[in-house]
Amino acid sequence: MFRYIVRHFNLLVVTLFVLSLFSFSLAYLFPGDPLVNLSGETIQSEQHREVLIEKYRFNESVVLQYTRYIGLLFEGDWGLSKSSGLPLYDEIMHSLPASIELATYALLLSLIIGIPLGFLAGLKHHKATDYSLLAISVMGYSVPVFWMALLMILVFSLQLGWLPLSGRISLLFDVPHTSGFILLDIMLSDIKNKETAIVNALQHMVMPVLSITIVTSAIILRLTRRSVIEVMPKGFIQAAYTRGLSDYQVFMRHGMRNSLLPIIPLLAMQSTTLFTNAMIVEVIYSWPGIGDWLIQAIYQRDFPAIRAGMLAVSALVVLLTVSIDLFAKLIDPTRDKSAHVTI
Amino acid sequence: MSRFSLYQEEYYPSPLQNTWNEFKQSHIAVLGLWFLTFFIILVLVGPLIAPFDPLTQNIDALLVPPAWEANGGIRNLFGTDALGRDLLSRLIHGCRMTLGISLLLVLVAMLVGVALGAVAGMSRGVRSSILNHLLDSVMAIPTLLIAIIIVAILGVGLVNSMWAIALALIPQFIHNTREFVRQEVKKDYVLAARLDGASKIHLFFYSVLPNMFEMLVVQGTMALSIAILDISALGFLSLGAQAPSPELGVMLSEGLQVAYKSPWSIALPGSAIFIMVLSVNVVGDGLRSALRNRMRH
Repeated sequence: MFRYIVRHFNLLVVTLFVLSLFSFSLAYLFPGDPLVNLSGETIQSEQHREVLIEKYRFNESVVLQYTRYIGLLFEGDWGLSKSSGLPLYDEIMHSLPASIELATYALLLSLIIGIPLGFLAGLKHHKATDYSLLAISVMGYSVPVFWMALLMILVFSLQLGWLPLSGRISLLFDVPHTSGFILLDIMLSDIKNKETAIVNALQHMVMPVLSITIVTSAIILRLTRRSVIEVMPKGFIQAAYTRGLSDYQVFMRHGMRNSLLPIIPLLAMQSTTLFTNAMIVEVIYSWPGIGDWLIQAIYQRDFPAIRAGMLAVSALVVLLTVSIDLFAKLIDPTRDKSAHVTI
Repeated sequence: MSRFSLYQEEYYPSPLQNTWNEFKQSHIAVLGLWFLTFFIILVLVGPLIAPFDPLTQNIDALLVPPAWEANGGIRNLFGTDALGRDLLSRLIHGCRMTLGISLLLVLVAMLVGVALGAVAGMSRGVRSSILNHLLDSVMAIPTLLIAIIIVAILGVGLVNSMWAIALALIPQFIHNTREFVRQEVKKDYVLAARLDGASKIHLFFYSVLPNMFEMLVVQGTMALSIAILDISALGFLSLGAQAPSPELGVMLSEGLQVAYKSPWSIALPGSAIFIMVLSVNVVGDGLRSALRNRMRH
């Protein structure tokens, strides 16, 4: 088991190394002066340039430049944003939690909806329930997320006026930024009318979370269903029936756990879709997350911001994937190394 | 197949025939295939059918409602947009563009992915393991992020976004090919060919590849639906195809400006994407279950 942890850790370190190398090379790949792409400062004079060259070791070899870059990354000096002039590290730490919050709620809701429905469909295999759930799920993951989000805005905020159009919380509430997670921030803060603030934040959250959930829960439903269908005819389930257990007992004690095991590593592979959808949805609902921030950065050709944002997001996703993979291995040591997606 | 047969001739359907027979059983899958065929015909002969040029503006007919509305006319069956361009023609050209490019991208990604995957699957040792692990982690990076980086390096445009999507599709093909080749190489029929002295290249092309086509077709339909969604998403965010061109995502974001006055200008392109992706997914599902079930008979 120790070997697996070391191997996964190794993989993580190697991948992060490659990602950081890539993000450093982006400074050269992006149009414009590499020095500006790294620092984000507009060079005003020769002295200023000298200072920056000294800071990023630009008079030495590329290898030394890279080590200096890594050093600065760990010190928290990620450069400045070209459009706002603020330190990138602070900006990312402000917007990343908002994205994580959105994606987490969407994932939790999808698990709550997708897994039970998947169980239902799998247990009623080749029956009307199965077919109708399958049909709904195919529709669910064929919907373009951005279109769904627009339709929801049209119906729920413009026609019916039930839900707010965009943003994270009404501007009337002045919630100080502590953790970056809006619900947590409201609870930690000492503003008046905490209940109304929470209700308001939840109202803002409904549509973005729902539009991501539709796709993700459809995928989870299908993964669960396939897994249940494959587990139920196995020998140990038949043996449990032979011992005289009822349908309910067999499923609760044997079927459910064994069909949930293979789903976990597959979930890791779906995190890509989840993040892409979250980023698109953020743009539509003006949710102040990393996706909205990155898209704005590209509209304003803010190359330092894209470089830093890419590193932050990809590091987060890789960290998530590797840890889910390790977790799956820890709870199920018999798992084959080459588990692949079946929907 | 060692059953007693009275008759001299017995009909054994080919694997392809078997798959088709199984596929036909599901009516929904066949319906999906009809829809997909319809869209592919649009890709091939779209410009001949379209009544107007998709870019010609007509100032006398701005925001004409579709023919089924009270104020609509039969001249513009689906109405016109904010610049008086005929929506039906734009939709036909848009389907042609979105689906055509997606098909092309999937084909390119498949060729590159299978080639690299075969190399990774046939080789052993530290080098292949490092390659594989790196690929697995690259697969975890969101498509939109890859697209943003490529667009930032090369600039905004349809061709650049095509590069991005192809790059995002390739790892999936490499991964699946690699796993498949790994499993097949262990089997006896490959061992037999190897004992006959077949080289690695020969082994791959004559023994493994013929068995892989089905996996590739299923994988291809999945990639196709992802590609359609990604191209239109990038068009919608105006990172891919640019404003006047009749791409479905671009049409959607243009329709957004007049969404309140003419809801059909976002309803029509959106449902075109939806039906297209739905038909691809339904066909893919039908194929997958047909391949799974055909061995039973």
